[in-house]
Amino acid sequence: MTVGAGDGSPDQIELRLGAELTNLPIIRSLTSSIAMRADFDLDAIADLKLAVDEACSTLITRAVPDAALRCTFTVRKDEIRFVVSIRSSSDTKPSSDSFGWRVLTTLTDHANSWVEPDGEQHLVHIEVAKRRADGTAA
Amino acid sequence: MTDTSSQAKNRSNPDNGYEHLAPLFDEMAALDEADPVRAELRNKLVTGHLPLAEHIAARFSNRGVPREDLVQVATLGLINAVDRFQPDRGTDFLSFAVPTVMGEVRRHFRDASWSMHVPRRLKELNLAINSASAELSQRLGRAPTPSELARHLDLSQEQVYEGLEAGNAYHSMSLDEALSPDADSDSLGETLGETDTALDGVEDYESLRPLIERLPERERTILTLRFFRHMTQTQIADRIGISQMHVSRLLARTLEQLREGMLTDEDL
Repeated sequence: MTVGAGDGSPDQIELRLGAELTNLPIIRSLTSSIAMRADFDLDAIADLKLAVDEACSTLITRAVPDAALRCTFTVRKDEIRFVVSIRSSSDTKPSSDSFGWRVLTTLTDHANSWVEPDGEQHLVHIEVAKRRADGTAA
Repeated sequence: MTDTSSQAKNRSNPDNGYEHLAPLFDEMAALDEADPVRAELRNKLVTGHLPLAEHIAARFSNRGVPREDLVQVATLGLINAVDRFQPDRGTDFLSFAVPTVMGEVRRHFRDASWSMHVPRRLKELNLAINSASAELSQRLGRAPTPSELARHLDLSQEQVYEGLEAGNAYHSMSLDEALSPDADSDSLGETLGETDTALDGVEDYESLRPLIERLPERERTILTLRFFRHMTQTQIADRIGISQMHVSRLLARTLEQLREGMLTDEDL
């Protein structure tokens, strides 16, 4: 079984769940399943899992009470893109000087974060993308 | 030198502390299965060699399996060794018993160190994937993909997924350590070396430094090699002599500890 439509068009997988650290194993195991089925190499699978873990943990600590964590995986032929969003009372985005950010940039090929207003509150997003390693066939 | 004399020489080795027990094996072997004296001798041999079982259990302690369990398993291994030992084969009991008891303890690690119940088939599948992954990494110069593992092991991709997932249920502090070549030595520090220079770059993260310094040496090394030296998990695994899956588990746990530590510090 492969993920995606097979014709190069992206496949999206969405997950919405309570912003609790205890939910991390669910997100991790979905990440692992998606990356395995996209036939990424074991290092890339493990890196993506760690990065998703880091991104979600970062946002969970900024969540307003009872917020939902929204995760979207976009699987393309040579890349898996993950976006996670949370509702927060703060409009500051995760610092790119932090060690957590270094973890994200080391483990993935692309990391980005942005904040948008959402009524009285804010939506904080983190996006990471992992590309298929050279030499592994799509 | 004849077999008998070399046998006698082995048994009279003054260093092992068990030499007085050796003649009992010959006595026991000479007796009939049903002879009550035989049971008595067997008891004496097991009791007399108990320190050996305790010693082996101690070498495997602090690896996530309770010490008492290890002593019990090692003792069972010792009883098996006493029952199966044939003194007329020319080897001394210790050379026969030590690998037998250690094998028993290692098997226990293999079975007991999964944090949830995982069928034996999956454990074996996971072990097979682990060793295939090490082999393919050497050949390819990078970590293999699930489809490459499937081809190499002649399994379906679904089976490989299952085996990889089974690894997640695995208690992170155990089998790899018990089975790695360094399991019986304290040579980790020597193997790793260069730890101090590996910490270069960490000073950019003031609040993190004390947390990193509190990490066990191996975890600290893996963390710095991955995030400050940009080595892949497979390269780190190769360098340290554990599996890539084990590196992955240790990294996940270390990052979690650091995150928890940072939160606690902020709360103070």
